Amino acid sequence: MRVATDIGGTFTDLIYLDEATGEVGLTKASTTPHNFAIGVEDTLKKSGLNVADTTFFVHGSTIIINALTERKGVRTGLITTKGFRDVLEITRANRPDIYNMYYTKPEPFVPRYLRLEVRERVNYKGEELEPLNEDDVRQAAEFFKKEGIEAIAVCFLHSYANPSHEARCGQLLRELLPDVPVTLSHEITKEWREYERTNTAVLNAYVQPIAVHYLNTLEKDLSEMGMGPVAHIMQSNGGIATFEMARRAPIRTCESGPVAGVIGAAVIGDLLGEPNILTLDIGGTTVKSSLVENGVPKITTDYRIEYRRDWEGYPIKVPTVDIVEIGAGGGSIAWIDKAGSLRVGPVSAGAVPGPACYDAGGDKPTVTDANLVVGRINPNYFLGGEIKVSLEKARQSMQEIADFFGLSIEEAAMGVIRLADANMINALKLVSVRRGYDPREFTIVAFGGGGSMHAAALGRELRVKQIVVPTAPAVFSAWGMLMADLRNDYIRTRVVRTDQITPAELTSIFTEMEKQATEELAAEKVERSLMVFQRFADMRYLGQEHTVKVPIPGGKLTKKDLAEINERFHQLHEHAYTFRLASPVELVNFHLTALGQVEKPKITRLNRDNARTVEEAYKGDRQVIFDSGFVKTPTYERDRLPVGATLYGPLIVEEPAATTVVFPGQRLSVDEYGFLHIEEE
Amino acid sequence: MARSKVDPFTMEIIKDALIAIGDEMFVATQRTSMSTIIYEVLDYACGLTDHKAQLITQGNGVTLFLGTLTSGVQAILDKFGLDGLEPGDIILHNDPYTGGGTHLSDVAQFMPIFYNGQVVGFAANKGHWTEVGGKDAGSWTTDSTEIYQEGLQFPCIKLFKAGEVDQSLVDLIAANVRTPEMTLGDMFAQAASVRLGTRRFQELCDRYGLELVQAGIEALLDYGEEMTRRELARLPKGTYEAVDYIDDDGLGNGPFKVCVKVTITDDQFICDFTGTHPQVPGPVNCSRSGLETGVRTIFKALTDPSIPTNEGCFRPLKIICPDGTIFTAQRPAAVSTYWETVLYVSDLVWKAMAPIVPDRLPAGHFLSVCGVVLAGKHPDTGDLFLLVEPQAGGWGAGHTKDGESGLVSVGDGETYIIPVEVCETRYGVLVDQYGFDICEGGAGRYRGGRGLVRDYRITADEAWYTGTFGRHKFRPWAMDGGQPGSPNYTRFIFADGREPVVVGKSARVHLKKGDVARLVTATGGGWGNPYERPIEAVQEDVKNGYITLEMAEKGYGVILDQDTLEVKGVTKERR
Repeated sequence: MRVATDIGGTFTDLIYLDEATGEVGLTKASTTPHNFAIGVEDTLKKSGLNVADTTFFVHGSTIIINALTERKGVRTGLITTKGFRDVLEITRANRPDIYNMYYTKPEPFVPRYLRLEVRERVNYKGEELEPLNEDDVRQAAEFFKKEGIEAIAVCFLHSYANPSHEARCGQLLRELLPDVPVTLSHEITKEWREYERTNTAVLNAYVQPIAVHYLNTLEKDLSEMGMGPVAHIMQSNGGIATFEMARRAPIRTCESGPVAGVIGAAVIGDLLGEPNILTLDIGGTTVKSSLVENGVPKITTDYRIEYRRDWEGYPIKVPTVDIVEIGAGGGSIAWIDKAGSLRVGPVSAGAVPGPACYDAGGDKPTVTDANLVVGRINPNYFLGGEIKVSLEKARQSMQEIADFFGLSIEEAAMGVIRLADANMINALKLVSVRRGYDPREFTIVAFGGGGSMHAAALGRELRVKQIVVPTAPAVFSAWGMLMADLRNDYIRTRVVRTDQITPAELTSIFTEMEKQATEELAAEKVERSLMVFQRFADMRYLGQEHTVKVPIPGGKLTKKDLAEINERFHQLHEHAYTFRLASPVELVNFHLTALGQVEKPKITRLNRDNARTVEEAYKGDRQVIFDSGFVKTPTYERDRLPVGATLYGPLIVEEPAATTVVFPGQRLSVDEYGFLHIEEE
Repeated sequence: MARSKVDPFTMEIIKDALIAIGDEMFVATQRTSMSTIIYEVLDYACGLTDHKAQLITQGNGVTLFLGTLTSGVQAILDKFGLDGLEPGDIILHNDPYTGGGTHLSDVAQFMPIFYNGQVVGFAANKGHWTEVGGKDAGSWTTDSTEIYQEGLQFPCIKLFKAGEVDQSLVDLIAANVRTPEMTLGDMFAQAASVRLGTRRFQELCDRYGLELVQAGIEALLDYGEEMTRRELARLPKGTYEAVDYIDDDGLGNGPFKVCVKVTITDDQFICDFTGTHPQVPGPVNCSRSGLETGVRTIFKALTDPSIPTNEGCFRPLKIICPDGTIFTAQRPAAVSTYWETVLYVSDLVWKAMAPIVPDRLPAGHFLSVCGVVLAGKHPDTGDLFLLVEPQAGGWGAGHTKDGESGLVSVGDGETYIIPVEVCETRYGVLVDQYGFDICEGGAGRYRGGRGLVRDYRITADEAWYTGTFGRHKFRPWAMDGGQPGSPNYTRFIFADGREPVVVGKSARVHLKKGDVARLVTATGGGWGNPYERPIEAVQEDVKNGYITLEMAEKGYGVILDQDTLEVKGVTKERR
């Protein structure tokens, strides 16, 4: 039995897969913010599973990201190289909101008086210019003790090139303050750029005691419920890790929920032979999109929390699946601005009070209300009928917009949907068109509560190849977790020109990382035969800043390999930036991805001889607006649709937690896995 | 107030699509440019205008190009007329004295957008080329005396004619710049971006029809105007004045008086700069389009910065200034570091308006871009290095908050300071310190933000330093009884023990191994009487080292115990 749980803002989802029968099951329970572990245990109990049969357990949660955004971490101190304690507060000094003269910079997570400096220095080559002054470290420890510091971060200049001073400083601090966890920047990231690395170390320290407490509690409870040592945690890089790894570097798990959906989408692409995927994950508050090229999700270390177009946020330099998020979801509120234009989002009605149709105190018109008014949502089958929604309240909420523009309520609702669609398209364009990809070469995988509701309209506008709606799209992220491998990323900066490095040197940089990766995966009980290493280098033209990630062959590298790496860089650069130069080429970062492959569940084909027919799935007609005017539209129950069925829009497919809308002129087919495909006729 | 029945939502979608075209052109330029000043510093702007040269949308990385695209298109219309343009034409322009030019390094390209055989708009891209020739490497300099020393001039000429590139022109440019590959690379990247903008505009017309798109443009401009007028209506009618002084022109002349009289009427925002000093010999002059940019930038700031930028926003704006001033220089005045003076334009209007728009405008900030060029030979690789960067500094206090510490100036924007680790790798320097400069200045009920100190110890055998540190003599201004900020400067500390030298603007200062260039930016101005700053806030400031014990006593009248920081008393001035 393989089990994944995903803690969201409102619900904790559980999905399980019985390897013997191929059966997939879901349960959900309320999220329990006072002690998240209880919600996880509730789902396990509710599922009726025999916990002791669990062979593999993956867990994703929002605990780390919440502790950061709600500023509920611990009192943290920072130690830096002498002369550089203000780096954390200076940030990169940019003003993203360029006409706002009242701009306020992000407040650092450690105030200035808790940022201490010690004498030490190495240069960019890693050579020691001044030894670590251990007395300074002792004084810092004493001060931190007096101040009641609960976690310490250490970041020295160029520690990516030579971490020995940080290591010695950490050793001293751990001796002097045995109860205070210490984060050394080079243990989290070995990339250059002191502000980003310092901030990463600080945020890790800030949440570490919380993560340790949570994981310890959960581990203990799971074990008391009879689960063996099979628990893993989802990381931002799209892989899983042991709890032990997550206790050391909790900052690597910030985006555990959202990235799992991307991993799941990549698995589906692989299964269907569609290597180029755009993910469309529509939730209550936001739409998220990511791009998978040739089966590989994009990974970035330019990840920021609280980033907005007009605010810099806080950088976290850990490998993270590259996801774009825009404030446009089912709960997004429609409003009229000062000059009389209709706007949708980014403010959301959230789960409480929720859209007006929930009749729970919210009276603002939301995208969900609009979908209800135009007939796309079935009022009697919302969340499978679990939640009663009021069409009347939804209509009332649209009244103000209708009056303002002199339109009918239905026309107003269509306006809200069209503007929401336009916002959502922006998210899809940001990861595709803006980065030089043509959506026509991509398949959309739509999930989240609202993905399949809007996918057909968005896909048509972007002219994608097709749209795929997986099984149980509302809990697809949890499904994706079942598909993830153990994964550690090792990145280190060393700037060297390709014509000034020997194949032996290059090989040894990677073999050194591979040695470390082997040891760490072995400690996670991965057998040697299941370890897979992938090498990459971030490369650029001399004098430039932007890099391109270039795959590097495995094993012992030769002169010929070096030449090929150079040529591959030129090609990839040309693809990404449209030109190539005759300048020398530099290697900047060396990146090793180490996978510990876990046995994947088989995705079973549904029985082709099933006796189901389209007629059995047919639930009757209802009036729905697609472009303008109500159209009589047949509706179907997804579970009862037979494999191989092909239907023509307009039509609607319903399932308990999602609705799939198919427009006139589009064709829907059900494949052998039960996935829905939408294409233009 | 019900609106017309013409589908208002399609209009919204077209408006958004137009704005998105500007953004997409912007990102495309970043992706395809070869020089760091474009793709790192984002020193460029992209946009669309209609066929009457009205700005529809503009994507910016910095604020310095806000007035320039419109007048550029106007210059094309004046020279060629609509009949003199063909599909596939791309026009090159950088003349500072006409048509939206700034300095020669900023080169614009414009492409007429044809639809059904008619010009329906223009796609524009203006960016800073790393090299346009001239007397100094990198083209901009602090001691030129006429335009002819500052590089190649492109007075509104066709780079592409009906889609065919003018190879003679390309060859001429290549022969006259120091980095032909990079310069031509950027030139073709710009051309690609205006072609992209043209294509996207045509696609939009295909999708919705020209008529609807043109209605969308009108709606977008009206929207910008409507939103702006609503903000303007909040401001009290009246006349507001400000006077300031520019330190010098880099050649020893100065200071120069600059002034503005802002008049707010029912439907206009009039900025009159009459009385400003005539143009000067050194390269700190700006031309009329620089003046316009400076006013537009602060006008957006004091209305609503989040309104999408288009011509409609600026309809209520009127700018008056006689020709031949330091803000409206005439050929052949030197304009190489024009931006330092554009900043004064923004700062003057800002200073005049801060008392009445305190929720949008804080007290004066360090203002100067504090641009630095450091050139030498890398001690490890022997390669030539050229460090070119702006500095961050202190911002003024607001009426509800302390000033920001270490933030790039009003002339910059999405501009990232180079990390120390990157800097030491690339250039022949060791950075001894990078932090807040704790000095006298900026005291107030709300405290001015701190400037920065950054030490470059030269590790190369020798190096040459050029800096454009303005506000060296005339400090960031305070508000409402606060204390003015501190000066920007560079201090040279010599390894041979010579007396250190402190300067504002400097050109090609020769440094040797072990010498230190200490770059110090100003603390911003304070807001309100420092004696009204709560004692606890002063205590916190001392605890965090934003001010010293002495400053607490002298500036704020709060006497603290040096060990415990407990309050021992207050001075009689504070009482």
